[in-house]
Amino acid sequence: MSLRLKLLIVALSTLVLPWMGWQLVRQTESLLRQGQEQALQASAEAIVKAIDALGVAAPVEGPVFPVFAASAPILVDGYTDDWSAWAADLQPIGPGEQARARVALAEDRAWLYVLLDVRDGTRSRVDARDRRVWTSDHVLLELERGGERSRYPLASAAPGEFDAPADPPLRELPERIVGQWQEDGSSYRIEFRLPRAVLPDRLAFSLYDAAEPVRADPPLRRLLRYDEDAARALARLAPERMRARLATPEGWLVADSGGLGAEADEAEPDEEGWFGGLIYRGMIAPALTGTRALDGVSARLAGAEVAAAATGRPLLSWRPGERPGEVVLAAAVPRRAGGRVTGVLLLEQASRALPLLANRALTELAVASAIALAVAAGVLVSFGALLSFRIRRLRNAAEQAVGSGGRWTGPLPLADAGDELGDLARSFGKLLHEVDAYTGYLRTLASKLSHELNTPLAIVKSSLDNLDQQPLGDGARAYLARARDGAERLGTIVRAMSESHRIERAIASADAEDFDLAALVAGCAEGYRALAGTRAIRLRLPDGPVPFHGAPELIAQALDKLFDNARSFTPEGGWIELRLARERDGVVLTVANSGPLLPAALQDRLFDTLVSVRERSARGSGEAPHLGLGLYVVRLVADLHRGRAVAHDRAERDGVEFVLHLVGMPRRRLADVH
Amino acid sequence: MPRTIAIVEDEPLIRANYVEALGRIGYEVRGYASRPEAETAFAQRMPELVIIDIGLGDEPEGGFELCRSLRVRSPTLPIIFLTARDSDFDVISGLRLGADDYLAKDVSFHQLAARISALFRRMDALRRPVESDSAIEQGPLRIESERMRISWAGQDVPLTVTEFWMVYTLARFPGHVKSRDQLMRDAQVVVDDATITSHIKRIRKKFVAIDPAFDAIDTVHGAGYRWRG
Repeated sequence: MSLRLKLLIVALSTLVLPWMGWQLVRQTESLLRQGQEQALQASAEAIVKAIDALGVAAPVEGPVFPVFAASAPILVDGYTDDWSAWAADLQPIGPGEQARARVALAEDRAWLYVLLDVRDGTRSRVDARDRRVWTSDHVLLELERGGERSRYPLASAAPGEFDAPADPPLRELPERIVGQWQEDGSSYRIEFRLPRAVLPDRLAFSLYDAAEPVRADPPLRRLLRYDEDAARALARLAPERMRARLATPEGWLVADSGGLGAEADEAEPDEEGWFGGLIYRGMIAPALTGTRALDGVSARLAGAEVAAAATGRPLLSWRPGERPGEVVLAAAVPRRAGGRVTGVLLLEQASRALPLLANRALTELAVASAIALAVAAGVLVSFGALLSFRIRRLRNAAEQAVGSGGRWTGPLPLADAGDELGDLARSFGKLLHEVDAYTGYLRTLASKLSHELNTPLAIVKSSLDNLDQQPLGDGARAYLARARDGAERLGTIVRAMSESHRIERAIASADAEDFDLAALVAGCAEGYRALAGTRAIRLRLPDGPVPFHGAPELIAQALDKLFDNARSFTPEGGWIELRLARERDGVVLTVANSGPLLPAALQDRLFDTLVSVRERSARGSGEAPHLGLGLYVVRLVADLHRGRAVAHDRAERDGVEFVLHLVGMPRRRLADVH
Repeated sequence: MPRTIAIVEDEPLIRANYVEALGRIGYEVRGYASRPEAETAFAQRMPELVIIDIGLGDEPEGGFELCRSLRVRSPTLPIIFLTARDSDFDVISGLRLGADDYLAKDVSFHQLAARISALFRRMDALRRPVESDSAIEQGPLRIESERMRISWAGQDVPLTVTEFWMVYTLARFPGHVKSRDQLMRDAQVVVDDATITSHIKRIRKKFVAIDPAFDAIDTVHGAGYRWRG
């Protein structure tokens, strides 16, 4: 992982800033909300108390049937078209099987209308006045008025009008009920009306299905009507832009007032923009868990808030408003009378201020921290870039110094910097200096040693020459010959040891001339044929002469070294290829040979001094020793010609290639010649 | 009367070896260990040939000093440098001082003896009148093999013995390529290829000093050298 990447990751830690800000905003917002909640609950409770004080009657207690106010006249025809406004508010007449029958009640000025919808697939039809009616499908209507009760079996043998007699007939109650009966495959509907003059106090329905003959005895229920008085009282009490609704503990709406108007001063709903909206949706909206069912107008307030209040526990909730970017806070508080919950007040307030406030703060914070983050990241990254640039510069300089065989070419970059990198550069410098001294010592060791060895060698040789002149036995002559042979070999070694030194001197005094490199390579190749033995020499030259400015003797010498090297690694019957080609800014001279591949560890160091890849066993007893100077000479020659020497395995992996890229020696200006 | 040879060499073992070996051939040889010692002796009597080691005891270039003072006293005295230092620098310095040849210390005794006798022969020849029939002439080149003298366009080329032998080998058969091995054999030296190359280079320079247009010695890469006839 690069330093820059690491610093980038470190820079990411500045992300903790916006996160902290976000936490702060959330906390602030939650405090604000709490305040709003408390205020709303307080006013809800105040309203409840005020309602009690105003003497608004509590809704009827006990089981009830809600009665809807019919705004349009209802035609009693057994069809539900007139009832579509309350289609969702049909009430089951009782628990269990009884729930198959559902009822809705509505009234206008004169009449109380009743619609019964019964799901029943098996039908046994008789008329209401038939004696068998008690054992056939029917809905038993029970009315109570003034303590007297009467029952009406609602049944019909065929769709159409039915006529149900009272049992027993009472003065206060209608003696018969006439209505309409309609049915389809799975259900039947009963629709009838009662004059408001003979309205019962309580009523009950029970379903009798001939297929499952179980008679239920449901409790009588009171009728629950919308309370206009209570609504007026609420309208007086409820604060502006709040909606107050009063309901029974079961949730039946008794009175309502007000509406969820947005705050007037927040006139620009689009101000927050998509960014604010995104933040609102992504971060604030999840906290909105209120029941959407409380939106709109319905006869029954379903929802956890009302249910909780019905048990005596006030509950507050937030829910998204109907307009975008709006939230609604709902508070449900119980209305109590004598320890019992007699109703629920639901007070709602829509507000845009809170999310907008949060959004604005959040947006500003986000922008500010984005800028801060960008600045911090930019500073860190550019610091990292600078740091890694410096480190790379140092590394490159160190690599270059090491790559050039430890030759130290001058002060390292950063060496005068005061920080740790400067320390590092100075230590590198020291290290390279030592390496340089060491390699310098190694490089000159051979030639120094050869000088030192020359004198004792001369003593040995001249002594042997003298000994040769003495009268000696045959045995002694043999030893003399061996000693001479050894001395000769020693002489060869000593000469080889000083070779690089001599080459360096030759290079230092080399004079450049113009010559045809192709002719030189061709001539050398001719000379090598005699030395190659069973190895084939291949020569590939470009067409025409290759003019070159350099030291031909030295190039020939380098070529000799390469050929020598190639020959010693090429097996009998192998091949050696000499190839010359023009390059963009010079020439490429390649000596390739079949044979073993290069050891991977040494590929880069082959051209260094004192590096030899030969194994000892590869050396014949008579061969000159390999001190690793040959390829070093090649490199020196390449350097002289502003080129470089590389060695690599052939792409076919059947041998190796030593490649010399040569540019040519710089041409001296006339002024330098004289 | 035997010819006298002086050997100035600080290494006693080598000195003793050379003194004995040359004495065996029939020369009268004296060995000296240092420059002052040698100069004192030469003031008494000049030898006919001097072999000098460049580094003498605590004088690293004492041999050069000695050579210079000898050359002042006798311009014709044959002087051979013998040293462990075989680098080109030493060669050039030695020759500028007027040495007749220059050999590495590991030269075989046989090679040294060949040079000594050649130098003596040359001295003898110089004393005799010129025998024109012993000279080889090729264009501007004239070789007097007895006197070991080579001239180019009428001017003497100051070659050492080794160099003379090389030019002689090349020029005797113009157009023939002589390999480095052949040159070494004929010049009675055992050196490496690079030294042959620098010998040839020096020979060229000496000719060029006389005639800037000189290019009679041709390099045949990979094979050797040839005299362009």
